[in-house]
Amino acid sequence: MTDPALLSLAEIAARIRSRALSSVEATQALLARIAQWQPKLNAYVRIEADEALQAAREADGHLARSGPKGPLHGVPLAHKDMYYFAGKPAGCGSKVRDGWIAPESSTVIRRLHDEAGAIRLGALNMAEFAYGPTGHNAWHGHARNPWNTAHITGGSSSGSGAAVAARLTYAALGSDTGGSIRLPAHFCGVTGLKVSYGRVSRANAMPLSFTLDTVGPLAQSAEDCALIAEIIFGADPLDPVTDGAPAWNKAAAERPVGGLKVGIPNSFYVDDLEPDVAAALDETKRTLEKLGAGFVSVDLPDQTAVAAAALIVIACEATSFHAPWLRTRAEDYTPQVRNRLENGLAYSAIEYLEALRWRGPALAAHLAAIGDVDIVLAPASRAAAPTIEETDVGGGTNAEAVIFALTRFMRPINYLGLPVLSAPAGHSRAGLPIGMQFIGRPHGDETVVALGRAFQTVTDAHRRVPQLS
Amino acid sequence: MNGKVTPERVAAIAAAARVPLRSDAAARIANAVTPAVARFGDEPIALALEIEPATYVVIARGGAKR
Repeated sequence: MTDPALLSLAEIAARIRSRALSSVEATQALLARIAQWQPKLNAYVRIEADEALQAAREADGHLARSGPKGPLHGVPLAHKDMYYFAGKPAGCGSKVRDGWIAPESSTVIRRLHDEAGAIRLGALNMAEFAYGPTGHNAWHGHARNPWNTAHITGGSSSGSGAAVAARLTYAALGSDTGGSIRLPAHFCGVTGLKVSYGRVSRANAMPLSFTLDTVGPLAQSAEDCALIAEIIFGADPLDPVTDGAPAWNKAAAERPVGGLKVGIPNSFYVDDLEPDVAAALDETKRTLEKLGAGFVSVDLPDQTAVAAAALIVIACEATSFHAPWLRTRAEDYTPQVRNRLENGLAYSAIEYLEALRWRGPALAAHLAAIGDVDIVLAPASRAAAPTIEETDVGGGTNAEAVIFALTRFMRPINYLGLPVLSAPAGHSRAGLPIGMQFIGRPHGDETVVALGRAFQTVTDAHRRVPQLS
Repeated sequence: MNGKVTPERVAAIAAAARVPLRSDAAARIANAVTPAVARFGDEPIALALEIEPATYVVIARGGAKR
């Protein structure tokens, strides 16, 4: 019999609903696997075994008496420790918020847990205040890559990437402000959905940059991401940027992909790739061609200017959020995060506002460049995961260079607010995962998932599971 | 365009924001942010008078379908 921990989100949810497997059995299977892997990965910051088993027993009882609460009835999940459950701690990877108890639940948590029926397994490691692309965390210890624990997970959703890859949760929420879902998905070999800005509520989740923050899932597959998306998408009165946001369109996310037009950037995203990543990109193109996609070369506007605008926006907004603590307890930040927050003190109000005002015109220029293209294909990074040793630079003088190199293919997309599915597309010769970005049109989240689903029907990189060494 | 950020500018903005800086911080920050400021400053951006941040929402919704 297959270990229940190795099932996909869609499979475990279906088995629990049909009572082929109980929520208690699923929870016990995950807890057993966590006990083996957690000492190696440090993916969790809290494991709430007793409470999770109690919630699982209650879910099984409810199912027997009244049927399922929702599509995730009894499914144990854990999320990045920046999503609030009322009455539970949410430390946000920090010393500053250590021990803080959330007064209210995040809208996405209410939808996944209170309404769809998932149960809480614990909380996952993350970069301090989600402000770091490596996955390092000096307070809780670094999360480690399940494919090779000497390597980074990517961040900031480090525990989410590691836990999904090692099958320590069936899926996890991450957040993506400058690549924080897509980088861990790429480095850990899982599927991540960076949603369009404004389609998923961020209410009562820890903010980093209100212009760029997005909430989305990391899971084994595009199908599993779609299952989460169907629950969390749509307008929320508590988050005004979702005003008028359409609900998830399931039919569009399952559409045939033959005839989709895929754009291949002729610069930037294809420059200076490591050979393994270049090979994975070529193989992905061949696969999409077999699926019936058409290709066109696209000449995107200079992405370095777009990335610079993104940097200005995130720096100013993050510093604004943290200014009260920078005034009174700056020593409670790690050096790298404190330095990055202090960087936001360098920009003038006019620079910040011009970077904000340019967002619309920059998106218009992007749309003009891609014409009728549905998806732009790009690697998530120029290389597979570097080592922790190579990137553990703290607040040193080369910290900015390390961060810039890791996030090079990330920031422009946050600034433009576009949806992206990051899908596993192969492994390097060293056995580390490589991910590709399917970058959609604004609000085209369903289309990137449709292409990802089709891609994953004929590829197997997303099915590979790391082995405990 | 000269986009170089000076330590004096950083110190002035930090003081206005009432955030105390360590003695060596202004120079470090100036070095760290100069590339982004310079690159953004070099971009030939011509923003029409009517463009505001929320213009982004209009363009995003208009670009949703092809």
